[in-house]
Order: sequence, then structure tokens, then C-alpha cells
Amino acid sequence: MLPGGGGGTMRRPSGSMSGDVPPELRDQLDGLLADEPEHPEPDVVFSRSDYDRRPLTLRRFLAPFKWALVGCVGLVIVETIAMRIGPLLTQLAIDHGMGLKDLGGGEVTGSRGVLVAICLTYLGFVVVAILVSRWRTLWTGIVGERLLYALRVRVFSHLQRLSQDFFSRQKKGTLISRMTNDIEHLQGLLHDGLAQLLVQALTLVVLGAQLFWFSAELALISFLVVIPVMVALTWWFRGVSQRGYLVVRDRMAEVLTHLSESLSGARVVAAHNRQQRNVADHVDVTRRYRHANYYTARIAAIYGPGSEAVGRLTVVVVLLLGGWMVLRGDMRVGELAGFLLAITTFFAPMQQMAQLYNAYQQGQAGITKLRQLLMTEVTVMEDPHAYPLPDIDGRVTLDRVSFGYDVDNPVLRNVSLEIPPGETLALVGPTGAGKSTIAKLVTRAYDPTSGRVLLDGHDLRDVRLDSLHQRMAVVPQEPFLFSMSLRDNIAFARPDAADVEVERTARAVGLGDFLDRSAAGIHAVVHERGASLSAGERQLVALARALLAAPRVLVLDEATSSLDLRTERQVERALDVVLTDRTAIIIAHRLSTAMRADRVAVVDDGRILEIGTHDELAAKGGRYAEMYATWDS
Amino acid sequence: MRAGQAEPGPLATTNPDERRRPPPRAPGIDPDQSKGWIKRAFPLLKAHRGVFMAAFAASLVTVVAMVLFPLWLGTAIDEALAAPSGQRDSLARFVWILVAITVVGVVAAYFSRYLTLRMAYSLEFDLRTLLYRHLSTLSASFFDRVRTGELVSRANSDVRAVQMLLAFGPMLIVQFGMFFLALYFMLTIDVGLTLVALLSLPAVFVIGLTMRKHMFPVSWLVQSRLAEIATIVDENVSGAQVVRVFGAERRQIGVLARAAQRLRWASMRLVRIRATFGPLMQNVVRVGEAAVLLYGGFRVLDGAIGPGDIIVFLTYLVMLQAPFAMLGLLMMLAQRAAASAHRIYEVLDERPEIADRPGAFDLPVCRGEVELRDVRFSFGSDQRVLDGVTLRVPAGHTVAFVGATGSGKTTIAQLIPRFYDVDRGAVLLDGHDVRDLTLRSLRQHVGVCFEEPFLFSASIRDNIAYGTPGASDDDVVAAAKVAGAHEFITQLAFGYTTVVGERGYTLSGGQRQRIAIARTVLVNPPILILDDATSAIDVQTEQRIHDGLRQLMHGRTTLIVAHRLSTLSLADRVVLLEGGRIAATGTHQELLTTEPRYAAALAHVTDEERIRAAQLERERTVTPDVEWRPIDPDHLDEEEML
Repeated sequence: MLPGGGGGTMRRPSGSMSGDVPPELRDQLDGLLADEPEHPEPDVVFSRSDYDRRPLTLRRFLAPFKWALVGCVGLVIVETIAMRIGPLLTQLAIDHGMGLKDLGGGEVTGSRGVLVAICLTYLGFVVVAILVSRWRTLWTGIVGERLLYALRVRVFSHLQRLSQDFFSRQKKGTLISRMTNDIEHLQGLLHDGLAQLLVQALTLVVLGAQLFWFSAELALISFLVVIPVMVALTWWFRGVSQRGYLVVRDRMAEVLTHLSESLSGARVVAAHNRQQRNVADHVDVTRRYRHANYYTARIAAIYGPGSEAVGRLTVVVVLLLGGWMVLRGDMRVGELAGFLLAITTFFAPMQQMAQLYNAYQQGQAGITKLRQLLMTEVTVMEDPHAYPLPDIDGRVTLDRVSFGYDVDNPVLRNVSLEIPPGETLALVGPTGAGKSTIAKLVTRAYDPTSGRVLLDGHDLRDVRLDSLHQRMAVVPQEPFLFSMSLRDNIAFARPDAADVEVERTARAVGLGDFLDRSAAGIHAVVHERGASLSAGERQLVALARALLAAPRVLVLDEATSSLDLRTERQVERALDVVLTDRTAIIIAHRLSTAMRADRVAVVDDGRILEIGTHDELAAKGGRYAEMYATWDS
Repeated sequence: MRAGQAEPGPLATTNPDERRRPPPRAPGIDPDQSKGWIKRAFPLLKAHRGVFMAAFAASLVTVVAMVLFPLWLGTAIDEALAAPSGQRDSLARFVWILVAITVVGVVAAYFSRYLTLRMAYSLEFDLRTLLYRHLSTLSASFFDRVRTGELVSRANSDVRAVQMLLAFGPMLIVQFGMFFLALYFMLTIDVGLTLVALLSLPAVFVIGLTMRKHMFPVSWLVQSRLAEIATIVDENVSGAQVVRVFGAERRQIGVLARAAQRLRWASMRLVRIRATFGPLMQNVVRVGEAAVLLYGGFRVLDGAIGPGDIIVFLTYLVMLQAPFAMLGLLMMLAQRAAASAHRIYEVLDERPEIADRPGAFDLPVCRGEVELRDVRFSFGSDQRVLDGVTLRVPAGHTVAFVGATGSGKTTIAQLIPRFYDVDRGAVLLDGHDVRDLTLRSLRQHVGVCFEEPFLFSASIRDNIAYGTPGASDDDVVAAAKVAGAHEFITQLAFGYTTVVGERGYTLSGGQRQRIAIARTVLVNPPILILDDATSAIDVQTEQRIHDGLRQLMHGRTTLIVAHRLSTLSLADRVVLLEGGRIAATGTHQELLTTEPRYAAALAHVTDEERIRAAQLERERTVTPDVEWRPIDPDHLDEEEML
């Protein structure tokens, strides 16, 4: 293949990185996977009309595990107390164990026994903290993973419920990130975030309680000093850093865009001698990015040391005031020491909570986005009284059908059309004329705004969707293959089809060459986007898929991708096989296809202008003849 | 601009480079590939030694202040409070000392943190611009080999990894200095207690290391299973139609549920590791605290130390935990950075295959004579693409190339502006081997329009003026008119200021091609190469473009890769290529009558062209549903007309 010669051959960004296991990991991974049990068959409940429509909120999301979560809170309380009891024990050790209860007495009144007891108590608390913390982590993990599993299935099920028009409106990347990024943010929150938020809040409570226990006055004074300053500082930091990081992100995007465009357009850049100027431009955007980074660096450098300084100065104030109290005899040395230890550790939780709050907000934002997705109404609804479509001959009728994606812009206006069973009808016309809309209405990807679409006299809206889809197959313009075996791709509509049957179908459409060539035969795995198959072979697979489904009605959007002549002929032959004995609507892009159809309908501006056989229309001297002529030139 | 002007217009001399010069080159890496990666990065680091030294010094001061604070706090308790009443020191003195330590510490900490970060970002800046600068010198064959996405990721995560280590590594080492300083003070207070207290620290390190070791494969597994989910979602979004029409919704949910189960299992393994090691990590230091209370208590009872010393030890214990926990991090950072540096160097060590040879000269004026002399060419070791092509195009002539895919037309178009060098033979411009000319002057004289018109995320105006940034708006409009783009541009809501490209408004393939033609027209080069540049444009519009170009072509050498009869009839001569050789040449009429292969090739390529046009159209449109695009009456693409 010629690089750069064949349109877009050189640009295909790399997709997933999975698959290639780093060699140093292989052994460990094997060991790990050996432990993995056989997972039970997931039980899948899917209904188009009956599903949980309540808006998703964090509370509702957590509700099923209410009691488990209450249990977690209990564990967190125990854990936090056990972990933060140190200052109190230190105070007891100093005052009672080391006998510094009364200052200036000079004589030692301490006791080794007390010290041993305190030390053992301490160790006891440590053991409790470790065990409880372990249980808590496991517990939140289990609960979190169950919730996430349910959420993943729920969101994905809703995606399956939504009809095609939804997917054509939304950017693919956005939809994928709902199922990945947004849910992963929630995962972080569920595994550790929420629990940590609680742990840190409780730490403040436990430490605060100890401070009051040691000296209420001193505690009040230091709170008055510390809390306003810390809150103000943190508030300031959150504001400026959020803004700062937003700028950083934007400028990062600028840098990346400039870079990736310069690389994708490398030839254009070279052809226009733009290298030096582009370097200058890149230096510019990168400098802007650096500048934004400097700003965040400055605020981070103020906040971190700043809050540390607040902490230390508080310690100094406590030392001064507490020292006086000790000298006056209002406080014991141990109490002051415990107080100092507690207040030193008092700041970390505050900073951590500020960070965790970010994670919490991210999780909330994820919930909001997921809520919006889950609230998206299903446009192609199934009537609760819908009946299964009986066996049909395949007569397709459009009865005064109008359709528009929005009210002001009708795409189809009052179209009536009757396709008798077994006929192949080609739709031709310019882009935007409404050809593919007709196809989409027939497959019920949309419902008409007015009028009816009938199949053997059954209004499509009255029949069950799955039964409709059993009688009808679609071959899209761009054949889409899943990364699974060729067999599974062909048997997509009928996964239980026998291998022999699948293979027969594959050979019937002309995939015999491929089967003979590949060692795995129909079990060959088709890679990402079907890259291991040629464009022609992929189309053949799509045709085989439709053929195996054995529909009464086939809707085919003719592929336009580049094929060599031999493959093209193969595809044409396969088409002949697939079209036999069934009603077909083909969106035709090639003259030859239109010529082969039983009838041709010229669609333009939302109407059917002409309809008839190729010969009739060509002779008629109308629009078709005109198109035919320019095509021929 | 005067599009109809015969000789290369004054615009041709507006070289973008003369308008903007890049800032002076930042230091690169050491070219000696035998050196270790940090050594090779030395020149980069050296440029920042001032900031680095300042950051290092500030970090040292910060660390000293950090260690001194608890020490003086403990001393204050012992000497001003716990001492027998007669021997008590003044509390105020200690308070002042502590305030001083805090103030010095906080100022130093500010500088240490700010300068460290600043240095990290400067390094990132250097690495990014260095990479970009280098990439812009590399030739087409490099970009054929390497995927853009991969390069962007190298320029991103790899730069970050290297930057992290180079900037933070030294600071982490300073943190370790803290350990030794604290150790010293602890030893001066009480050797036994020091040993008791520090017993827990190696455990912190070992637990951290073990945890990371266990976590590594599991988190890899979790990541790969997350990717699995993403792939399933991707497929079901992209293939939504297939899933719907074959009624496979329930089955696909099953597929996802299965993957989600697998992910859940892996995630739970991760949770279990965290549940095992996390609490140990957090609490092991508390064992040390308990030990300090016990043994330190005994020592106080012995009268060897004061209760303030206990406070000192307890505080140090918490403080010193950090560097031990970070030691593992440092090791991981270093590993990652080495791998990343290796990948970055791989790009930086890449030598441009196409570059000015020593003694290359500028060609100030170009008449426009192009000659191929027995040109042989192949991409890598693959089969020959051009197999002895000899051809002379006199100045001012228009030559069209026709041939099947793989016959070598596009390759010829790429050899003239020297995107590749010939294997044998020579390409000559006005009698000079293109390899003797400077690339810049060569490409100034040769304008190329590609089939896949790449537009940048900028306004339409800037895209048209891409090769001549100094062009006036009138010139831009004139060029757009020649290219048949003016009408549709003015119909856009923002006209010429509409931003297009990856991050902007999506134009159709035909519209993009017309902008690309305008871009080349504006440069007004004496040699114009149109490589299938109108394949997605409908016949009528193409006719008008050619009318405009014909005036422009007059006196200009034009090479066209095309298949349309209308286009071919424009050419003075048509060259039929087959398998990398010239099969026949002559005028369109001559070839039609005398050369059966010509007619056959035409019939074949028209099909191919139409298909390709449709493909172009599809590739770039974001929403596959063309109905969403407002219909442009001025342009109905050929494929749309069946």
C-alpha cells in the first residue's frame, strides 16, 4: 500500500493496549488467574418498558446496602478511636507512669507497672485498629463492588434500550466515558473515598474530644485561632486551585492539539515550509501551559507550607499558654504533652478532607451524568400490548409517512410506497434526500411523525420488537464486526446455529477462500474492527450474518468502501444469494446495483420523485435519466 | 492576490519563516547513546542548575527546620516546665526560638516547593519543545512508521514520568537527609530509646514494598479488565445498529455482565491486598510509639531523659515514617522514568532521512522544469513502487498521471517535493538534483495538494493562509474564489472565521479539499502538484476550479493525479502508469484512440475514485447521519448523485 496515497491509511490511532502482558508480570498474572473461580452465569433481566425510572442519586444508589453501610460506620468509629487514642495514652503515661502528676515535687512517684499496662493497652488498640480497619476495607470493597456491578449492568442495559437515533446524536467518546470514567470515579469514592471522608471527620472529633479532655480552655482558644484561619486558607486554596487547574487543563489540550495536528498534518507542514514557524507556535502554546503551571505551583507552595505554619504557630501558642497553665498548676505536663501531640495531628485530616471533597464532587458529577443518561427516554417504545409478529410474506408498506428529526425540518413528506413480497427495491438520490431515513423507518429505528409503516399489514408499532427483528435484517453501510470469532460474528442473530450451518452460510457468500486460508476456520478471531479481514471480506461477513438470520425483509445500505474488482464481484455474487426469495430495500450508491434491482425509487427532498424499473426510468427522461447520463460520462 | 498572474507572484516569496523565528534552541540531550539516561539528560538539567541549587538549598533549610522544631519543643517542656522549679528556664525564650524556626521553615518551604515545581515544569517545557523541534525535522518515512497517537502519548506520559523523577528525585533524597539529622539528635538524647523507636521504621519500608509487589499484577489486571469493559461498550455503541436489528440486546448485556464480574473479582483482589497491608502500614508506627512510651517511661523514671524527650521521639517517629514510605515510591518513579526516558530518546535519536546535504543551495528563481531520470523507488524493502521512470516536463506544461492504485502516481507526486528520496536515478528541478537544493527553497517552489486534505484546528482563513500567514484578507478571499470555496464559506455562520479541524466545525470532504486547494493557490508556486485533490468535489464545481486554475496554470508547471475525463483533457500530456513504469504517454485523445490499456484504466479508476470520494466523506464526518448536515446547494457531491 502506498503511504499517504490511499486516503486515510496512515492515521489510525492505537486503540487498546491490553493483550500484551509485560513479560515480568506474566508469571505473577498466571498465578493470580489460577485462583480465579468460574463465575456463575450472570442473570440478565432486560425489558424495554419495565425498568427502574427513578432518578439516580447517591442516596438511592447506596440504599440497597443501607444496613451494611451503617455497619461500616460503626466499624469506622471503632477504627478511628483505636487509631487516635495515642495522645491520651501518652498523657496517662507521662502523668501517671512517669510520675509527673505534680510538678516540682522532685520525687518520683511513677510506676513501671502503670507504664507496662499503658503500653499493653496501646498495643491492644493497635491490634484492634488493624483488624477493624481491615474488616472495614473489605466490607466497603464488597459493598462497593456489588453496587458498581449493578450500576454497570444497569447503565449498559439502558444503552441497549435506547434506539439508534440516540447514538447518532451523541458522541461515541462521551457515551463510553459514562461507562468508564464516570463509573470509575464512583469506584474510587465507594472503595475508599466515602469511608475516608468519614474517617477523617471522625478523627477530628476524636482528637477534638481529647483536646477538650486535656484542657477545655486551651482547646477553645486554639480552635478559635486555628479553625477560622485554616478554613479561610483552605477555602482560598480550593477556589484558586480549581480555577488554576482548569486553565492548566485547557492549555494542556491546546498543546496536545497542536502536537497531534502537526504530526497528522506533517506532510502539509513540510509542503508549506511551516516547520520553523510551527516550532515557534508550539513553544508559544507550551509556554502558556508552563505559565499556567507556574501559577498552580505558586498557590500550592503557599497553601502547603502556609497551613503547616498555621499548625506550628498554634503549637507555639499552646506551648505558651499551656506552659503558663502548667506553671500555675492548672494543667499537668502530660496533659500539655498530649494536647501538643493531638493538635499536631489535627491538621492533616483537615487537608485530607479538602482533597477527599474533590473526589466526592467528582463522584457526584459522575452520578449526575449517569442520571441524565439513565433518564434519557426511550424513543422507540414497545407497546405493552404488542403482539409477536406472525410469519409474514414480506410486504412492506409506507402509508403517507412523514418524518422529521425536529419539527421544522421534515426529512420525509407524506411518502407512500408499497413493496410486494420478494421484490428488490433500490433507493437512489442525493445525500440528505431521505433514503436512509426510509430504511430506518422500515426497521423501526425511528417511528414516523405521521402515517404508518406496515409489514404484511401489521403496523410496526403494534408488534414486539424482538419478533420484528427476527423477520428483518439490516446490512449497514460500514460492516461492523465484533472482536469475537468469525463464527460468532456470523451467528450474531442466531448464536445457537450449528457450526456446519454457519460454515455453509460463510461459503455461500464467498468466504470459502478465507476459511481455507486461515487455520482456525470459522473460529478465527476477528480483531479490533475486523482489521484482520479485508474490506471486502468484512462485507461478506456482514452479508453472511444477514443470510443466516434468514429474514423475510432485508434492508441494505450499500457499502461504498474501496474494493478491488475481484472482491467486488464476489460481493455482488453474495448479494444475489442473499437477496433471493426475500423482500429487499437497498440504498444504492452504484449504478450497477440500481440496474439489478426490480424497481428503482428516486428520492429527493423527502419525496419519491420517480419509481419504476431501470429501463422505464431511463427511458422516461426524468431525474433518473439525468443522473444516469452524468454517471455515464 | 492576483490568481491569474502568470509568473510566480510576489506572494510566493512570503515565506512563513521570515515572519516568525522560533526562540533560541534550548539545550538538547547528550547525543552519546552509550551513556546512561540520567547522564544523557545532563545538558538539560545543567540549564536549570541555578533554580535547582536554590530549590535544593531551600529544601535543606526546610528539613532542618522540620527536625529542629520538635526538638526545641521537647527541650522547652523539659527545661521550662518539667524541670525542678529552681532550675527552670524562661518559657518565653523557647517560644521565640520556635517562632523563629517556624518563620524560617515556612519561607524556606515556600521556596523549596515553588522552585521544585517550577523546575519540574520548566523541564517539561524543555522536553516538550525539544521533542517537537526534533519531530519537525523528521521526514515522511518516519511518520509512515510511527503512529501519531503513540507519539502524542510519548510526548505526554513519558515526559511526565521523566520530569517527575528529575525534579522530585533530589527532593526526596533531601527528605532522607531529614532522617539522618533526626537520627543524630535522637542518638544524642538516648541511644537505647533511639533503637527502640526506630525498630518500626524498616517495617514500614518492607510492608510498603511487599504491598506494591502484590499490587502490581493485580492492578494491571484491573486495568486490563477496565479496558475490556471499555471495548465492549465501544463495540456496542459503534455497532448499536447491528445489535438492535439482530435483537442481541439481552445477549450483549450478558457479555458485559460477565466482563463486569471478572472486573469485580479483580477489584476485590485489589481490595484484599489493600485491606491486608494498608492498616499494617498505618499502624506499625504506633507499635513504635507504644515502645517509646514504655522504654522511654523507664528512662524518665531513671532520670536519664525528660518527658519532653518523649514528645520529641514521638513526633520524629511520625515524621520519619514519610521518607520510608516514599523510598518505595522513589524506586518506582525511577523505574518508570528510565523506561520513559528510553522511549523519548528513541525519538530524539531518530535522524531525519531527508535533510539538506552539506553545500545545498537555494534556488532563488524557478522556471518550473521538472525531470525524472530513471527513478527507482520502494518503501523500505517492499516491492518496487517506481521501477525506472524517466520523464521530462517542460516549464509551463500540464501533465496528468493516470493509473491503478499502486501504479506509482502518488509516489511521483511525493518525490518531487522530496518527501522521500529516490533509491536510484534522480529528480531534477530546472536541471538541479532536488537533493542539491535546500528543502526550504525546493518546497517554496513546489506546491502540493493532497487527496486527504488535512485542516488544522484554526479558522478557515488561517487554514487558507497556512503557507502564507502574512496574506491579506483580500488575497485569502481571492484564493478561496479560485478554489470554488468562497460561496460555501460565506454561507457558514462565522464565514472565514469559522474554526474547523478536529476541534471545530466539520466540513465535508469536498469542502475540505477546496480549502486545501485555496491554501496552495494562495502560495502561488511555480510548480503545482494536485494529487487527486478534487476527488470529493462534484464535477461542475471541479470544472469551475479548473477554469480558475487554468488561468493560474498558464505559464506554470502543473502535475495532476486524476481520473476524470474533464480533468484529463486539460492536460498537455497524459502519462499512463502501470506497475511503477510508464506504460504510455500522449494527449488524452491520442491515448484514448491508440491505447486500449488507457481506456481500461480509466473505466477502473472512475469506479475507484467515486468509492474513495465516498470514503473520504465518511471518514471525517463526525455524525454518520448525513441528514444532519445542512444541504449545500452549491455543492452536491458526486457520490450523492449516485
